[in-house]
Amino acid sequence: MTKDEVQGATEEEQAQSKKGLKKQQKEAEKAAKKAEKQSKLAADQQGSEEDDFAKDRYGVPPMIQSQQKLDRVLVRVEDLSPEKADQLIWLRARVHTSRAKGKQCFLVLRQQQFNVQALVAVGDRASKQMVKFAANITKESIVDVEASVRKVEQKIESCTQQDVELHIERIFVISQSEARLPLQLEDAVRPDGEGEEEGRATVNQDTKLDNRVIDLRTTTSQAIFRVQSGVCKLFRDTLTNKGFVEIQTPKIISAASEGGANVFTVSYFKTSAYLAQSPQLYKQMCICADFDKVFCVGPVFRAEDSNTHRHLTEFVGLDIEMAFSYHYHEVIDSITDTMVQIFKGLRDNFQTEILTVNKQYPSEPFKFLEPTLRLEYTEALAMLHQAGVEMGDEEDLSTPNEKLLGRLVKEKYDTDFYVLDKYPLAVRPFYTMPDPNNAKYSNSYDMFMRGEEILSGAQRVHDAQLLTERAMHHQIDLEKIKSYIDSFRYGAPPHGGGGIGLERVCMLYLGLHNIRQTSMFPRDPKRLTP
Amino acid sequence: MSMYQNGEVDPAVKALEARQDEILRKLYDLKAAVDGLAKTVTTPDADLDLTVSSSLSSQSPSSTTFTGVTNLDTLLGKDLGALRDIVINANPAQPPLTLMVLHSVLCQRYRVLSTVHVHSSVSNVPPQLLSCLGPRHADSYARQMFQLGVTLIWKDVPKLQMKFSVQNMCPIEGEANVARFLFKLLSPYPSDAALATLVDSWVDMAFFQLAEGSAKERAAVLRALNSALGRSPWLAGQEFSLADMACYCCVLQSGPASSTPSNVQRWLKSCENLGHFSPAKPFLQ
Repeated sequence: MTKDEVQGATEEEQAQSKKGLKKQQKEAEKAAKKAEKQSKLAADQQGSEEDDFAKDRYGVPPMIQSQQKLDRVLVRVEDLSPEKADQLIWLRARVHTSRAKGKQCFLVLRQQQFNVQALVAVGDRASKQMVKFAANITKESIVDVEASVRKVEQKIESCTQQDVELHIERIFVISQSEARLPLQLEDAVRPDGEGEEEGRATVNQDTKLDNRVIDLRTTTSQAIFRVQSGVCKLFRDTLTNKGFVEIQTPKIISAASEGGANVFTVSYFKTSAYLAQSPQLYKQMCICADFDKVFCVGPVFRAEDSNTHRHLTEFVGLDIEMAFSYHYHEVIDSITDTMVQIFKGLRDNFQTEILTVNKQYPSEPFKFLEPTLRLEYTEALAMLHQAGVEMGDEEDLSTPNEKLLGRLVKEKYDTDFYVLDKYPLAVRPFYTMPDPNNAKYSNSYDMFMRGEEILSGAQRVHDAQLLTERAMHHQIDLEKIKSYIDSFRYGAPPHGGGGIGLERVCMLYLGLHNIRQTSMFPRDPKRLTP
Repeated sequence: MSMYQNGEVDPAVKALEARQDEILRKLYDLKAAVDGLAKTVTTPDADLDLTVSSSLSSQSPSSTTFTGVTNLDTLLGKDLGALRDIVINANPAQPPLTLMVLHSVLCQRYRVLSTVHVHSSVSNVPPQLLSCLGPRHADSYARQMFQLGVTLIWKDVPKLQMKFSVQNMCPIEGEANVARFLFKLLSPYPSDAALATLVDSWVDMAFFQLAEGSAKERAAVLRALNSALGRSPWLAGQEFSLADMACYCCVLQSGPASSTPSNVQRWLKSCENLGHFSPAKPFLQ
């Protein structure tokens, strides 16, 4: 630096250069420390090579390329119970945390949502060097461990396996993790608010989603997606038992199914095509093709540019369509019963997972009635009116009113799940069957969980003539929906159905606040990766 | 009724059918009247005009009981064009017999939509509890067609609970209080303050001493019942009231006493003759 330059420099720059100097100094100190450490480590290692009796009991074996097929049985962490006490077992798990304390090193070994405490202590099985090696294994590395199971006198509160600990006899690193993690798992599972009090870090949603692979390892995520898989299984099982047939429908379609807006256009050779907003058309065609009762689990696309807690651009739709005998309430009964079976199945079989999620995101247990409560739109309006909401008779429910209604229903009936029936015809799509007794209303219904809509359904018009009239009333270009209307010309049974968003059901059942938490790799207007 | 393939009905046949229906209806009325007369013989109010049996509303033309009020608007607040739904949360371990009885009487007076639900807090509710409000109404798909809704929810509650208008009413707790509320939809309490208080005190005695009390307390209440029934045909004088309804249910629920006093026995029989209590029968051991 020349003198002129120094003179010309402002105070600020001086300050900066001072800061820079300090920084440099610090870095130099750091490097020196690092070098010291490394040399020490090297020395230690040299030392260990000299007199380590436990040399074969630890280390980094060659990468597993399927060289040998061992007859070794790897025990699962969740199966570690006092019954296994004093047995010598093998185990593969991640190093969740490690803490070295003089002659011993405590590890928490994690497998999915379960963890157990393990201990390497200097003795006749483990050498000083082995303890050192164990302490230096980076977090999230995968290790193979041979250990004996020991009962503990005091419960280990921080682990899921509270009654036993492992005394490690051998430890091998199968896959080493990089030392620096983009986020700490403990930070990611900390309940909201708790971190702030203790001055600890919390991880925000975007960081979690950017590093989804690591975030998905947290006990909370593990539990959420197990519950989600449960919802899918229960949905399938219940409907299959009711005589439904699972169908697969195309997702690349030639015309938008629910109006022209909100569809993704994709280039399709020389023309363009759309991504399906719902399998609606195909479900109905299957009904016309005598499949009677069908359901479909698959991706659904919405090109809505809404960045809310409950909208995704791609989600998994659980769709139902069924022919009924005389009254569309047969359809409502069938769908609500399916939902109740799902809730019951979750309540009875996924208690561990629900409790795990509740630890991070506390919420009231999900309540429901069997048979499901069904209210009519006019009743809902009367309840809202009593609560002081002014609303027109044929007006659609706004989101705040929807939530308020949910609270009112919860207060009176103590249920988080109910059906709202007989919506005004004006607010429903053209294929909705009008109410025979009152032209203002329709045979349509919504279902709500914790005051948020999860399903929208109706009896569909199965008469080509009436369908044409309704389409014209809605000013829809008849040419564009010709093939749809034509499917009903050759005899179509009366039918109805609805579609549920899997992510929404999971979110609301668990009482979570953001749908991205229940989507494994969420897609929204601002997120296309990972 | 017969159906014709072309959908048309011969007018002559139609007339014949109408006549047949009319005759059948008259026969039913006659049978009901005879049944009613047969009961008056063993029922204290001998002047009862029971043209239609088991209907409280037409029980006695001279008394205002059960016929005094029909206007739900004055009782339950103004009509909002929607179903007025009364929600009752009851524990399946203690089925509320009085409410089942009151419900069936309400059904005779009003168009009542009754539904039974099971809350997620309980499982394995016995099937007879699921059908305790009778079979599903044929018109139950149109909730708006009803004047009154009774929604019974089997739920894990320590005390029976009623919720009606969540905006301006706190939940009502206790079977006795809910019974008083429902009974007022059928008839006003006696206008005489002393008589009204007497009814209230019998209701309290029924629920606190007969249903929940020790053997000693029960015996004391039975003695009190016996002496009161020696003075008048019903507990609160000349007319059947909520006092009789509550005491009847609680006496039967507390099990067959080895020595029921004679007046009480006569009164039990009279109650039985009224025909209101059949809905509670399946739940009495």
